Amino acid sequence: MARMKFLCDAERCIECNGCVTACKNENEVPWGVNRRRVVTINDGVIGAEKSISVACMHCSDAPCMAVCPVDCFYRTEDGVVLHDKDLCIGCGYCFYACPFGAPQFPQAGAFGLRGKMDKCTFCSGGPEPDGSEAEFKKYGRNRLAEGKLPACAEMCSTKALLGGDGDVIADIYRQRVTVRGKGSEVWGWGTAYGPPQAKPAAGSKS
Amino acid sequence: MSARVMVAVAAALACAALAGCGERPQSEATYKQGKYQGKPDTRPWDNAPLAYGNNKWTKGDKRSWEDELKGRTLNQNENTRIGQ
Amino acid sequence: MLLTRKSASAAAAPSRLSGGLAGILANTVDRRAFLKRSGVTLGAGAVAAQLPFNMIGKAEAADTPAETGKVEVRRTVCTHCSVGCAVDAVVQNGVWIRQEPVFDSPLNLGAHCAKGASIRDHGITHDSHRLKYPVKLEGGKWKRISWDQAYDEISQKLLAIRKDSGPDALFVVGSSKHNNEQAYLLRKWVSLWGTNNCDHQARICHSTTVAGVAQTWGYGAMTNSYNDEQNSKCLFFLGSNAAEAHPVSMLHTLHAKENGCKVIVADPRYTRTAAKADVYVRFRSGTDVALLFGILYHVFKNGWEDKQYIQDRVYGMDKVKEEVMAKWTPDKVTEVTGVSEAEVLNVAKTLAEHRPGFIIWAMGQTQHNAANGIVRASNILMLALGNVGRSGGGCNIYRGHDNVQGATDVGPNPDTLPGYYPVFVPGSWVHWSRVWNVDLPWLKKQYASEAMMGKPGMTVSRWIDGVLEKNDVIDQDPNLRAIIYWGHAPNSQTRGKDMLEAMKKLDLMVVIDPYPSASASMFAMVRQEGAYLLPVATQLETEGSVTASNRSLQWREKVIEPLFESRTDHMIMYQLAQKFGFADQLVGKKDGKQNIRLVKGKGGMEEPSMEDTLREINRGAWTIGYTGQSPERLQAHMRNMHVFDVKTLRARGGKDAKTGYDLTGDYYGLPWPCYGTAAIKHPGTPNLYDTSKHVMDGGHTFRALFGVEKDGVNLLAEDGVCSKGSDITTGYPQFDHVLLKKLGWWDELTDDEKKEAEGKLWTNDLSGGIQRVVMKHGCSPFGNAKARAVVWNFPDAIPQHREPLYSPRPDLVEKYPANDDVKVLWRLPTLFKSVQQKAVADKTAEKYPLILTSGRLVEYEGGGEETRSNPWLAELQQDNFVEINPKTAADRGIRGGEYVWVSTPSGAKIKVKAKVTEGVGPDTVFVPFHFSGWWEGKDMLPYYPEGAHPIVRGEAVNTATTYGYDRVTMMQETKTTLCQVAKA
Repeated sequence: MARMKFLCDAERCIECNGCVTACKNENEVPWGVNRRRVVTINDGVIGAEKSISVACMHCSDAPCMAVCPVDCFYRTEDGVVLHDKDLCIGCGYCFYACPFGAPQFPQAGAFGLRGKMDKCTFCSGGPEPDGSEAEFKKYGRNRLAEGKLPACAEMCSTKALLGGDGDVIADIYRQRVTVRGKGSEVWGWGTAYGPPQAKPAAGSKS
Repeated sequence: MSARVMVAVAAALACAALAGCGERPQSEATYKQGKYQGKPDTRPWDNAPLAYGNNKWTKGDKRSWEDELKGRTLNQNENTRIGQ
Repeated sequence: MLLTRKSASAAAAPSRLSGGLAGILANTVDRRAFLKRSGVTLGAGAVAAQLPFNMIGKAEAADTPAETGKVEVRRTVCTHCSVGCAVDAVVQNGVWIRQEPVFDSPLNLGAHCAKGASIRDHGITHDSHRLKYPVKLEGGKWKRISWDQAYDEISQKLLAIRKDSGPDALFVVGSSKHNNEQAYLLRKWVSLWGTNNCDHQARICHSTTVAGVAQTWGYGAMTNSYNDEQNSKCLFFLGSNAAEAHPVSMLHTLHAKENGCKVIVADPRYTRTAAKADVYVRFRSGTDVALLFGILYHVFKNGWEDKQYIQDRVYGMDKVKEEVMAKWTPDKVTEVTGVSEAEVLNVAKTLAEHRPGFIIWAMGQTQHNAANGIVRASNILMLALGNVGRSGGGCNIYRGHDNVQGATDVGPNPDTLPGYYPVFVPGSWVHWSRVWNVDLPWLKKQYASEAMMGKPGMTVSRWIDGVLEKNDVIDQDPNLRAIIYWGHAPNSQTRGKDMLEAMKKLDLMVVIDPYPSASASMFAMVRQEGAYLLPVATQLETEGSVTASNRSLQWREKVIEPLFESRTDHMIMYQLAQKFGFADQLVGKKDGKQNIRLVKGKGGMEEPSMEDTLREINRGAWTIGYTGQSPERLQAHMRNMHVFDVKTLRARGGKDAKTGYDLTGDYYGLPWPCYGTAAIKHPGTPNLYDTSKHVMDGGHTFRALFGVEKDGVNLLAEDGVCSKGSDITTGYPQFDHVLLKKLGWWDELTDDEKKEAEGKLWTNDLSGGIQRVVMKHGCSPFGNAKARAVVWNFPDAIPQHREPLYSPRPDLVEKYPANDDVKVLWRLPTLFKSVQQKAVADKTAEKYPLILTSGRLVEYEGGGEETRSNPWLAELQQDNFVEINPKTAADRGIRGGEYVWVSTPSGAKIKVKAKVTEGVGPDTVFVPFHFSGWWEGKDMLPYYPEGAHPIVRGEAVNTATTYGYDRVTMMQETKTTLCQVAKA
């Protein structure tokens, strides 16, 4: 089995925010903490507007893990990056390091102390007994332990956000791209393979 | 032993004991930079399925849990139902 | 303090044993801990409930004893929009603890938008902003009272008003959020009170659609379904922002697009839907007829119309063609709409080359002063292309609220009884008094007079004028003195300033709603007393059926008992009926018979049974085929969603484990019309007017409602045109006992059926025998006619472009004026031309040069107080805003994110944040309509009952919107008015 991954298909994402509220609902995340957000670029620009849902990408080589001064991060066997809130000191260094803005910090107390870092757990809880009170209170729901997948991906309105075994996800996406003939260029296809080529001159070798 | 020595020893012992009073005990493991220092976590497949709902796998069997999830992932692909 | 800390709390025992506690896994989420961990939501920057570990004391571990309690899963349907996404609600000990997606549902396949994914908030009691107990406005403050006191005072006041002024002094604004049974009971309730002054959200949503589309071919509903878009080659969105208003429908749309379907979006704004379009056309708001006929011009010019289809199934297309070719040449189209000829031709070509195709619309087409014509123009375009009455093609009308379709079909309409039986036809009252088991003479006496009984009532869009207008110009004896806002927001109606004036004059306002709604805050802002708020339960706290936009019915199970002191709508109806003396009539109790049993509801109090109510609907709503959807069949469908095919909505097989019901052949939700009794097992009609199937297979024809011929031209279908397997292979009129006898089919009725059907039509034969026999012969009970491109019951026989009353183009007002003023329309004098002329004379377009349009956001719904009280949704959109083009903003010195004043000719101005975006053109600005709770810059928080205010408050755009109504249905012109924007 491959590691757990998310993939948001920008050809399908309509910024309905279903993923955002599904996460808040399932994990009872408080106001001010947003594990998942939808970003829309080029809002209103004809032909260029795209939306995509972003949360923790559960990187294989996670920068948050690398920089944490108290080493509270760990990776599960499925590739899910989790952390121990009991150890977290709320320094925010992972916040600096993460390219996706995944770490969130709840406000606590009257002076806006930066609380324990909170982030998407791929709905697999944290280092507390699975499905226990403590786990739910600190980390949210553990859906993986129930044989389910993250709520955000399961509830996406247009099935843009896919979440699960990277191999199966890639298959679903591959099937879509094959049928429709496009979609990957949003991800920097152009960077890897160059801009779309001009039509070859008549008679020249293709 | 003389009482004074006793007292001295007691005082010394007391001092030794007191020396640690203001501090909380250190963790047993020595701090190793770069390794996860937190609590252990259970693996998802080491749980039994919920009493309600359709999820089925054998507790402890990673393979059956993976199969369960792979099947579940297909719900995110509308073609599995439409193509039928 | 040490840098690395071991967990000092006793709560955490690192162990690998937890997994083995299967039973406890289901029980670990219990109520008290649940309450403690619910998000605290005091607005932006609220204190998080999830405290850092060092502040969680040992107390946490102690107060969560593992409660045992069986976990149940109840299947319900989201209560927000008409897509009808199913939700599995997980309930433990009567507490709604989780929700799961229903992947089996053929309608949504488990998908949700932000609102559906957060619907569990309705079951949360901690820090709830719901109305929790009855309150009364006393000395300008909301005072808590008991239900008994509320009922006593309300009924006394209403009966006194009735004695003084008659029953027509009351207006009941019903709800599109009621389930079918409640909506049906409310129409009955209002009739028993003795007035037709009732209405609901459909008026301001799709009333023009229902009227205009029904005039074209018989039924005014979505012709196909969201799912059927997967079978389409072209989707033309004209007046719909489906990505925000019906997000899950985009699953079907985008799947279709990825499989080769072309998506065309025409909208004044570049919306989230437009971002997914293959072709985007920007045009001026309100010029839809010009655009549609501009497209039709190219269709005719290039011979792309489906001539055979037109000849077989359409009446009057030749007259339309004549007018279109003369009036809507490309130059005129460009002058009116602002769209170039090339763009219009491109759209026409795409539509012509990709058939079958749909035209899809929502408020963009309906909320205009001549919208009855706009929707007909859409129909005409689809007829010309031969798209209607086939899978993958037709008019996909996206309805709004979850049950606006059902409420329109069987609920509180001012001009019809359940099933669209018109109030001005005496036979309708004969029919329904029979079904209701109510004495007709008694019922007639409840009304002010028989004339008033047959007169359509006022509309929700104009109730304010019913209060404010001079008594001698309104078409009823008294002015309106009392209003009940029953599940309806006030800030979705235009002319907010005038509404405030009306509230000042009212004797009594009663709001029956799970949330106080802006009615409460507006009233308390200007009055010291005269209002009552009654807390009612949401649809998650009761069972009942709901009709989605594709006409499928789904049955909701009750998730939780009504929270706080709320009661269900039908319990309140029954209890008020007891006060008014028609409780027996409400449940059809007479002569030893009782139609609707009373069951024990909350607190052991009695309420009408929802299942029995549906059975009564089944016995009476023959016109639209609400007769085959029995509770048993619907519930079997809900239990076995997985057997239904997603593209066709048909069950290929399957037997319900619980009842043994055979699902084979049924269409999901038995989309109406599901003719005949449940016994004949009609499968429902997924695509209307589809002649490729047998009527018992879901096939259909165009309705014969307008006569057999007109001016010598045949109105019935041509020879050879009929549904598959029809014994009559040509056009035929609607069926009655006479026609049956003529055809020699009369003796196929059983003796019982004959007794009942003698002297009856297919619409009032309570035995269902006529329908049964007719369909056995493969015929449609309502006839087989042509669709009409030209009508004669509307002011405009052929759709006309009419400039908005507040038009930015005085030059075009001259060429395309609004209708003439009307002395009486829905009991009120209604102005059209005079308003338009005055605006021109006053040079309004110069003072207010920008077009103000309003619309939806995905996070909120309707008037918005319900969704803005949900912290998960409220956090996503915390301020009301105006979308303004960069040039427009620069010209006014406005920066993005600043507060601005949007002022309109109504004299009102609203304070909103500026969102600078190229999504709107330089001539247009957009404000979402979901907000309320600010009045011209002032926060109305003090005017809400304690603890029952929405988390996010903002200006209601309708505070500033202007006068303007549709000539046929009194729909409000919310999509186009004028405004000016200035820095605050």
